[in-house]
Amino acid sequence: MKVTIDNLTIDVSPGTTVLQAAGALGISIPTMCYSEGHTNHPSCMVCMVKELGSGKLIPSCAIPVHEGMLIQTHSSEIREVRREALELLLGDHLGDCEAPCRLSCPSFMNIPLMNRLIAGGHFAEALKIVKEEIALPLILGYICPAPCEKACHRKSVDEPVSICMLKRFTASDDKRRMENLLTFPEENGRKVAVIGSGPAGLSAAFYLRKMGYSVTIYERQYMPGGQLRYSIPEEKLPCWVLDTEIDGLASIGIVILTGQEIDAKRFEEEIMPGNDAVILATGNPAENPILSFSLPVDVEGKLFNHKTFATGRRGIFGCGSVIKNQQMAIRSVAQGKLAAVETDLYLTAGKQKRIRFSFHSAISHLLPGEAEEYLQESLHGNRIEPKDGWLNGFSAEEAMLEAGRCLHCDCRKPVSCKLRILSDEYHANWKRFTGPARKKLTRLIRHKLLVYEPEKCIKCGICVEITANYKEELGLTFIGRGFNVHIGVPLGNTLHDGITRSAFFCVEGCPTGALSFLDQEEGVEYRMRYRMTGNGWEKIGHF
Amino acid sequence: MNDNTNMRESVDQIVAQYGSGKESVIPILQAIQQEFRFLPAPALLRVCETTEITPAKIESVASFYGQFRFEPAGRHIIRVCTGTACHVKGSMIVYDAFVRELGLKKGELTDSTGMFTLEKVACLGCCTLAPVVKVDEITYGHVKPEETRLLLKDFLVKSVKSNNKKSSRHIDLQGVQGEIRLGLGSCCVASGSYEVKRSLEETLAGTGINVSVKQVGCVGVCNQVPLLEIIKPGEPGVFYAQIKPEEVRDVLLSHFRPSGLFDRMKTKLVHWLDHIVEDDSPVTFNRYSADQRDTPLCDFLDPQMAIATEYRGVLSPNNLEEYRSKNGFSALSHCFSKMSPQEVIDEIVRSGLRGRGGAGFPSGKKWQLVRDQETEKKYIICNGDEGDPGAFMDRMLLESYPFRIIEGMLIAGYATGASEGIFYIRAEYPLAVQRVKDALEVCRQEGILGDSVMNSRFSFSIRIFQGAGAFVCGEETALIASVEGNRGTPRLRPPYPAIQGLNGKPTLINNTETFSLVPWILRNGASAFSSIGTSGSKGTKVFALAGKVNRGGLIEVPMGITIRQVVEEIGGGIAGGRSFKAVQIGGPSGGCIPASLADMQIDFESLSTAGAMMGSGGLIVLDDRDCMVDLAHYFLSFTQSQSCGKCTFCRVGTRRMLELLEKIRSGQGSHNDLIHIEQLAHSVQGGSLCGLGKTAPNPVLTTLRYFHDEYEAHIQGRCPAAKCAALICYSINDQCIGCTRCSQRCPSGAIAYKPYEIHEVDPDKCIKCDICRQVCPVDAVSVA
Repeated sequence: MKVTIDNLTIDVSPGTTVLQAAGALGISIPTMCYSEGHTNHPSCMVCMVKELGSGKLIPSCAIPVHEGMLIQTHSSEIREVRREALELLLGDHLGDCEAPCRLSCPSFMNIPLMNRLIAGGHFAEALKIVKEEIALPLILGYICPAPCEKACHRKSVDEPVSICMLKRFTASDDKRRMENLLTFPEENGRKVAVIGSGPAGLSAAFYLRKMGYSVTIYERQYMPGGQLRYSIPEEKLPCWVLDTEIDGLASIGIVILTGQEIDAKRFEEEIMPGNDAVILATGNPAENPILSFSLPVDVEGKLFNHKTFATGRRGIFGCGSVIKNQQMAIRSVAQGKLAAVETDLYLTAGKQKRIRFSFHSAISHLLPGEAEEYLQESLHGNRIEPKDGWLNGFSAEEAMLEAGRCLHCDCRKPVSCKLRILSDEYHANWKRFTGPARKKLTRLIRHKLLVYEPEKCIKCGICVEITANYKEELGLTFIGRGFNVHIGVPLGNTLHDGITRSAFFCVEGCPTGALSFLDQEEGVEYRMRYRMTGNGWEKIGHF
Repeated sequence: MNDNTNMRESVDQIVAQYGSGKESVIPILQAIQQEFRFLPAPALLRVCETTEITPAKIESVASFYGQFRFEPAGRHIIRVCTGTACHVKGSMIVYDAFVRELGLKKGELTDSTGMFTLEKVACLGCCTLAPVVKVDEITYGHVKPEETRLLLKDFLVKSVKSNNKKSSRHIDLQGVQGEIRLGLGSCCVASGSYEVKRSLEETLAGTGINVSVKQVGCVGVCNQVPLLEIIKPGEPGVFYAQIKPEEVRDVLLSHFRPSGLFDRMKTKLVHWLDHIVEDDSPVTFNRYSADQRDTPLCDFLDPQMAIATEYRGVLSPNNLEEYRSKNGFSALSHCFSKMSPQEVIDEIVRSGLRGRGGAGFPSGKKWQLVRDQETEKKYIICNGDEGDPGAFMDRMLLESYPFRIIEGMLIAGYATGASEGIFYIRAEYPLAVQRVKDALEVCRQEGILGDSVMNSRFSFSIRIFQGAGAFVCGEETALIASVEGNRGTPRLRPPYPAIQGLNGKPTLINNTETFSLVPWILRNGASAFSSIGTSGSKGTKVFALAGKVNRGGLIEVPMGITIRQVVEEIGGGIAGGRSFKAVQIGGPSGGCIPASLADMQIDFESLSTAGAMMGSGGLIVLDDRDCMVDLAHYFLSFTQSQSCGKCTFCRVGTRRMLELLEKIRSGQGSHNDLIHIEQLAHSVQGGSLCGLGKTAPNPVLTTLRYFHDEYEAHIQGRCPAAKCAALICYSINDQCIGCTRCSQRCPSGAIAYKPYEIHEVDPDKCIKCDICRQVCPVDAVSVA
């Protein structure tokens, strides 16, 4: 049977679906509710394509081809209908892709994962997660105003998790901190100069070094640290903290030259010729000489591009207050990281991927009773106050207890969730079809392996079929009808009774974050391992 | 413990009766609910233990269908019809009145004493009596919100009475003086037909008048029921419309002489005494002679053409002999003796018959498809799942002409090579189920069903499957899923049921009305049928005419008749001196056609061009007091609640549309919302698999198209029809005579008691229940 898809013709056997024929031609069509071997599709309608003969949009996963069929899989009309389907699903979806703390962190630090690692006693791994995004956790652990804590859902129960102090805790142990720095790569021979050793400069230097570059920091003052050293009182940030963390940077090979006044002449004659790229982290432009450097301004009269941190001159980037005066050190630290990434992009001629924020849906605030759903897997009670006082911070026990208060409001499948991936791809706006009253969030945990969050379910029924195929006595089933249809264990039984041997397959089959493993961590290198036992799948290892 | 054992025994009996296969799940659940008034969890567990039905299956099916309850219900169930006709006549106000009367708090459905459970029902199919309320098996028409207490009292009295012995009478076959015909369709019964019948029997027993009383099916003249027809040999028939039980005696005595002198004397005396005792005895009747012209009855009946409803008001529903005497089953025997199956199909093709279920697919083509499948087993399904609010054609046909539909199905079975038929009938139509059941039994006994039908080589059996309350099951693939014992979720077509239907076998699904047209076509020839109607739509169409017309009822008209003819000639124009605004055709899948297009012909093409749809044939007439935004909201809330929940666009999209309409209806909408809802409406049409989702936006789109100014008005905070509660305000004008009736009846205490003074409505307390306006004797309550 001949069928033409996007002007490519293929001969397939009768009964082949449009989706399968397109697949054979190497044309990809998005799917969510479709899963090989399952029959309940189509329901989600993101696989819509256009049949040019009838002019109708059809779900490609279920329509068999017929002789001479003409199919178009990409057009603005098709894109729009797929996006609408996604937006309708999102309007009925309830959950934070990323935890609100992480979203409100200027450095996008994976706070909930740090919390879970601390709570589990995996302090070194926690520090590693912190330093993925924040170069100076010890320093910031003292001075960060912690916008993350203001966003923490836990505040609707009692008090937010002490994220900032937990972050400080991860970096407070000398041995742990040193070990963390041992993993840095050999220098690759390319040089980057960073001018200024404030929070932005230090951060940029750290990430450039982490990427393999040889980094030299030029500092005008006699001591490095910039605003950190000269604007913050000792009782808020003791000098030994600053020195400790800066010493750590020196220990991984970052050269810090102090007392270096860089004027236009030295910049042109020494810095520019001697380096592959330069990062300007000189602080408030009014107080430093970069205005005398020959840097062109753009049409708006700006020296720096706000997105790429590049100047009009090749190889020169900026970060921190030199671009715009920064009130929070964490913003400068975040910009230092981004400027380092941009510099790397420039030096590798775009071979690296730019950091971009992925689609996320959010619950703005919890309704009464919803926090209880999250509290099921959190330690109860108010914040832990460090017994040795604020300056000394948490002991290991205290840190574990405090981190255990985290509500795990971030999604357990932020990477594999098809709804998120496609919403990102189709630029879906999750707010477009939200109703006047949102559903109530629930999280069902009555199971040793699984978590079920019904409000993330797209009602594809794949899990229903899986539990039936694995001959679960109860399994999962559709309950109700229409807008109120949901999936649950029949006759009021618990998840534990419903899913015995098919847990692994249900999680794997679920296209969204509705069904996940209790301790699933995605997007990090830690993986759980499972083995099949007489009682079904059991976890045998962790991290 | 004992209870549990009893429950297990009852369940085991039910399972033994319905079988332990997966497909028995719906009948088993229906039987359990019949037994326990709800579905007790232990009973469901017992079913799972003893049958192939899994917990997953039983939960998914039981929670899908609206009929099933998981909480114990009160001893009596009050069903408030919220069909279209009832809606436009204020059924929600009636519902709210019951909520108050029973003292129900939010979320409660059963009163604190456990006596009554209140339910909404999509349509009871008694549209001409709107608003209708059914308490257990007793139906009340024209219910007013202020009468809820009286109604419940009346019910409690009646439900006790009905246990009393009925008067009986010996029928003397010699010297019959004539025949009395009394319609006993659901509407007639709701209007008091049974009381009239009882009074008739009592009178006959008391007077010894020897006439045969015949129950006939729905007469269609629902606006005039109970309708009594008296036939005397050699005289034209005389109709008595809207007859009351207490009038029966006088009517009878004016036509017939009591037998025997003593009886006559006694009758006279008693009669005379009656007159003395009851001074409100009737003086005039609504008496119309059958040969008299220019009566409302003639105006109603004349433009009509009875094919599906042939011999209406004449045939007794379950009398096979009579059906046979009126050419019944002659079409079938003609097929057996003179026609090959292919010739039958050719005849249907030539007739131009198109399916009466809504979409109008050519029936002959469908039959041919089924015939062309070479399999041993094929099925015929009669789709009587008439779920549209505002439609009662199927109910009336099933109640009145079960033999005709059986004949149609047999002919279809013969033509397509099928051996098994299924009547799919809504459980909300108990009378239809009973009549069909009885008719099937008679046919089995008479050799019309079973092996060698009417001594031919053709064998055919028919069973009944009762729908369990899901509108979407009117869609053929959902209907099949339901018969197979699944959730009524439609599936993608192709494959069409004609190729792969019930149990994977070729299945012919036609609407009830389609089957009832078939015998006539074969008897009178395809050309007789195709000479009626328009070029694309042949024959007649049955409509349920209701709403704001003077004469509602069940009508059968030739295709191509104009909307104006239906409303003005048959319906007698708009009731109460209001002005004609629009007709709603096709129920929740159809659309609103404005009065300005009333000269449009009614046929498949014209309707779909206008954005409406034939649907199954509900035709609700609207006047200037009907708000089109409210109506669009009404229909969408129905379809939204009936969505199966599979396709994203229908499941979530219709909900979002409804929310937008709610916003607009409450005066909170914006111009953006209008653009938004129209866009979404088109997406829902395009992104849904089945007819429900594809047509659900029609009422919204047609009202947006023809009544855009009304939407605009709502955005500006006005409801021109004074209907939308959030935008209206009740007040009392200076015509008030201070009678205090409104104050006494106001359920929220919004009107202070001021005898002989002009009353006032406190807008903060007013709940807009409309009772004051209805009880006011001088029209002093105004709504703006």
